[in-house]
Amino acid sequence: MQYTSQNTLLYVENLSVAYGDKTIIKDINIVEKDTVRDGSVTGQVIAVVGRSGTGKSTFFRALTGLVKPTTGKVLIADTTTDSIDDAKEVHEGDIGFVDQKYTLFRNKTVYEALQFALRNKEMSKEEKDKQILTYLKDWGLEKAKDQYPCELSGGQRQRTAIIEQIFCSGHYMVLDEPFSGLDVGNIQDVKNAFKLITESHEFNTIIYSTHDIELAVELADSIYVIGYPEIDGKKMPYGSIVKHIDMKALGIAWKEFGLEHLDIVKQIKEVMLQS
Amino acid sequence: MKNILTPFEKINKNTKLFISLGWVFVVVLTWYLSSMGERHLFPSPQQVFQGLAELYNEGLVVHIGSSLLLCFSAIIIAIIISLIFSYLSTIPLVQPVAKALSKLRYLPLTGITFYLAILISDARTMQIWVLVVFMSTYLTTSLLSMVNSIPQEEFDHARSLGCNRWEVLWEVVVKGRIDYVIDVIRQNLAIVWMMLVTVESILVAAGGLGFLIKNSDKFMNHGRIIALQIVILVVGLLIDFVLDYLRKGFFRYSKI
Repeated sequence: MQYTSQNTLLYVENLSVAYGDKTIIKDINIVEKDTVRDGSVTGQVIAVVGRSGTGKSTFFRALTGLVKPTTGKVLIADTTTDSIDDAKEVHEGDIGFVDQKYTLFRNKTVYEALQFALRNKEMSKEEKDKQILTYLKDWGLEKAKDQYPCELSGGQRQRTAIIEQIFCSGHYMVLDEPFSGLDVGNIQDVKNAFKLITESHEFNTIIYSTHDIELAVELADSIYVIGYPEIDGKKMPYGSIVKHIDMKALGIAWKEFGLEHLDIVKQIKEVMLQS
Repeated sequence: MKNILTPFEKINKNTKLFISLGWVFVVVLTWYLSSMGERHLFPSPQQVFQGLAELYNEGLVVHIGSSLLLCFSAIIIAIIISLIFSYLSTIPLVQPVAKALSKLRYLPLTGITFYLAILISDARTMQIWVLVVFMSTYLTTSLLSMVNSIPQEEFDHARSLGCNRWEVLWEVVVKGRIDYVIDVIRQNLAIVWMMLVTVESILVAAGGLGFLIKNSDKFMNHGRIIALQIVILVVGLLIDFVLDYLRKGFFRYSKI
């Protein structure tokens, strides 16, 4: 499938996070560029896979600016300027973050939560109301408008959490295990949400972690495997990128799941077991 | 019916009611039996009802009002002090002070009253401040525990929505936990209510349920003492019920 890689959207250099003496992740380097395909708006879908305890959640917290890197930096494209090459260091709030529990404000209804997410946007109250109602309709949340998080189903909570981040954080969104504990219907909802996000803007970039390798291979156009790297035959006690698979370069991104994808699944599982 | 003796067994509403009524009957029967004869530990129900009637004629309602006023005055001041310290405990500079305030709950009341007596001349104010000092330590302990038990995800969520640290404090801790504050007050109010007898004995002229108990105690009027205990228990339970009702009514999301 024809595509071109244009300006850099995500640049992670020598990222490491340590709590006291314990290094959780180290030497993480990632470069992700804007993928452009003729005739369609194509956002980026990046999957991060790895066994439990390898530092995926810490990596995501560093990526979203919620934890300060011990070394290294995370840069994203500054889309607020006219120049396409401008980059800025990530600060909390720049990249949306949806955690595994789909955390929301417990004291705000869906509508109030979305209103809060739009609080800093330069729009009139009517425009904000209109945008909220449009999203609620598109994402099947109209009936849940006045409900509190404790009254929502898992799928409704997740969709609300995603919309909140879309409203607030621009083009980047990190989702920590968005498929965990979901039934087939809810998994399909999340897939549809990914589609809605990536098809709505060229720069939109989703970064998600999952234990479901098939789903990573099916949805992502770039996959990173986090594991314990081996240096001089010795396994290190911190997480790092041990393999990167560019599904676009392999020519199997945006395609129906087939035998080629299964081969990638097998490769990833082998790497995960070894690291 | 035989299931009522099986652990973890679910029972229907009628059976629950039946069990409760059964226990009330057992208590009343035990009371009657234990108060029969010449030598008995508890006064008979007749003596208690008589004591209650006497208390009513002596202005029981006014005394209840006085106790409630004292209780609410103290709790309002105590909750303001405790909330300030608990909310600000998220600031590293203030955290040790809040923790120290919580630890003061091990301080004996006698020591506190001695210094308060030197500082405050008005006895009613003295009553209020004894309760305030005492309550603040317990309230701060509960509120600190409330703040510490907020999951990290809630703070991260607010931060990911671009909230600065003060907004996180306001949205997640202050606004997001108002229902918990009401529950903390409800739980700690029982301690104040329990302290009434001690504190109200400082100033007998101001009246109150504590004064009535002390007065009845002096004349060994057991009927009145038990009647007063029942009144204190019922009023306490009523306050507890009202606060719980308010929490559930005002905060639909509250599932504590």
